[in-house]
Amino acid sequence: MIIAMSRVRVLGPWDQLDRVLQEIQDIGLMHLVQPKSNDQLREVALTKRQMRERDWIMRLLEDLEVVASQLGSTFTTPRTPVARTTRSALAEWVRLAGRLRRRLEILAAGQRELEEERALIARYREFITAFESLIEAGQATELTRTYHVILRAGDDTTVTTLRRRMQELVGGDFELMTRRLPSGETAVLLLVSASAAPRVEGVLGKAGVRELPVPESYGAQTLAGALPEMRRRHEEIPQEIRAIEDERRSVLSSSRATLEQAWAAAHDRLLEFEALTQVGATSHAFVLEGWMPRNTVPQLRNRLTQAIGDDIVVEEAQLEEWEGDVVPVVLSNPRLFRPFETITKMMPLPRYGSIDPTPFVAVFFPMFFGLMLGDMAYGLVLGAAALLIRARSRAETLLRSVSEIAGACAAFTVIFGALYGELLGDLGRLWFGLHPLAFDREEAILPFLALAVALGVVHVFLGLVLGVISSFRHDPRHSMGQGLTAIMIALVLVALLAAVEVLPSAFFTPTVIALLVAFPILVVLEGLIAPVELLSTIGNMLSYARIMALGTASVMMAVVANQMVGALGSAVVGVLFALLFHLVNFVIGVFSPTVHALRLHYVEFFGKFYSPGGTQYRPFGHWRARHVT
Amino acid sequence: MEVFWISLSAAIAIAIPALATGWAQSRIGPAAAASLAERPELSTTAIILLAIPETMAILGFVVAVLIVLQGAG
Repeated sequence: MIIAMSRVRVLGPWDQLDRVLQEIQDIGLMHLVQPKSNDQLREVALTKRQMRERDWIMRLLEDLEVVASQLGSTFTTPRTPVARTTRSALAEWVRLAGRLRRRLEILAAGQRELEEERALIARYREFITAFESLIEAGQATELTRTYHVILRAGDDTTVTTLRRRMQELVGGDFELMTRRLPSGETAVLLLVSASAAPRVEGVLGKAGVRELPVPESYGAQTLAGALPEMRRRHEEIPQEIRAIEDERRSVLSSSRATLEQAWAAAHDRLLEFEALTQVGATSHAFVLEGWMPRNTVPQLRNRLTQAIGDDIVVEEAQLEEWEGDVVPVVLSNPRLFRPFETITKMMPLPRYGSIDPTPFVAVFFPMFFGLMLGDMAYGLVLGAAALLIRARSRAETLLRSVSEIAGACAAFTVIFGALYGELLGDLGRLWFGLHPLAFDREEAILPFLALAVALGVVHVFLGLVLGVISSFRHDPRHSMGQGLTAIMIALVLVALLAAVEVLPSAFFTPTVIALLVAFPILVVLEGLIAPVELLSTIGNMLSYARIMALGTASVMMAVVANQMVGALGSAVVGVLFALLFHLVNFVIGVFSPTVHALRLHYVEFFGKFYSPGGTQYRPFGHWRARHVT
Repeated sequence: MEVFWISLSAAIAIAIPALATGWAQSRIGPAAAASLAERPELSTTAIILLAIPETMAILGFVVAVLIVLQGAG
């Protein structure tokens, strides 16, 4: 249900504004709005000091975000609201966050350099491994010059081109050796006389190959000379990286609590500045207006009186004053129904004063799901998955709601499985002698179809009745039109049942006459579109035939899976294929009924009464991690 | 011969709506994916829009079942 709200006005002397805001933030129940415009009221702007403080906070949050990302962590909400930030604490946090940011950035840069060096050494190692004996034998002398080149994988023509050009340039006075590296690249070692070196470099440039230079940082002229240093660095780098990671972990463990406190307090203060902009002021007094759940107004009044005194006035605006205003919406449902608010909230929120469909969704959604999947084994597997997700999720999260909805769906799946006598399709019947308690879905297709459409009639009819109730206050004419539509639907059904002699045929003629009388009245009330809507409502009811269609498809797939055991020659292969097919059927059987049960609610049911356009209730309170995540 | 016509009728009753559904979803799917890339909050609408053409296939299936059952009876 949508809980009743009150528009509350808090008035008091200007010098008490700060304390009042703190109390309201602590209670966390008032959704602040701009006070109604009045000649004597002016908007409150932040002072220069407050603007400076806000800038500090923005810088602090930016630093903290960088720190969190460097530490690979996120800050969560402290268990208890943090005390209000003092300027000295804020200054201390700004300094700490800046210092940590700089230190962590230096560590990150150092780690990057080490990673790059390690990658470079790895590249040289490949080369060295390929020409180990030549390099270690110190092939390069003062009279020769060595070039180390790595060619891309698949680049075989460059070697041929290079060899030909070298032949043209220095005749046979060179040595060119190639080795295939594990990466698929080609390592090339080229030895030429020192006098030919400048011309060779030109050839290499023209051939588009890049020389792997001898690393200068290792202080050697030749690759062989750099080898000992490279080996030493290869041993040292992992230790240096570990040391950086240890320091980062130590920063996280020693500062985490302080940083989380700073993070929450900074957000709290920003929310307070935001609230200040919603305050109306006269020369001596302030006015705060907002929305609260009606039953919580006395709590606010008592708290302000106790904390500040009788100078503060809390009054509720009369209903006439706020008629037509956009009222924030708070859904409040019994514990059992609450997870299903997730399904309602996937649509825009219902308008204040309209009907919250959550209780109906909580009953019909899992029922439709169970009707479609309807298998005890599948239900138990789904139930186990729901329990697992529940155990791994935190309270009041989307995942927890999903697990609870899945739990309800699993329960209905088991119940309908028992009614259909299904356990992995017909396996329960074949192995354990299970019998359907209601009907067999494989055989009784027409009764199943009748049940599905009958449920559609009940569901859509309920939607029409809710539509009548919902629009009665705001639009009585439309409400009467919807009521008449519901009556005509009932008359059509009676006429149809009388025509096929399910009801006495004497009902037929009076029902048709009643329909003929109601029809022009409906057109007068709802306009020429009414007949089209009437037909589409009948179409909506027939749309519930999908429950039977998906249910039958699900059981047939399960039966086909079971038949694989005997059909594939080897029993082991047959069982494996059957299990695989059941798994596929289970996945389809969970996904498809979810989508179609959602569609039946959103299109067929909600379409009759749901009135979207509600505003989210965002009370002014202490910062919570979920506000930004 | 009668069995042939009953089977053919049932096959046509499901095949044509299934093809039509496939075609409609092939148009809706890319459009929905493109919308979701820009506005992820439209996921519910996208799912509903994708599920709407399936009504054709489902009703086709119901009609096919009725044809087969009537033929058998």
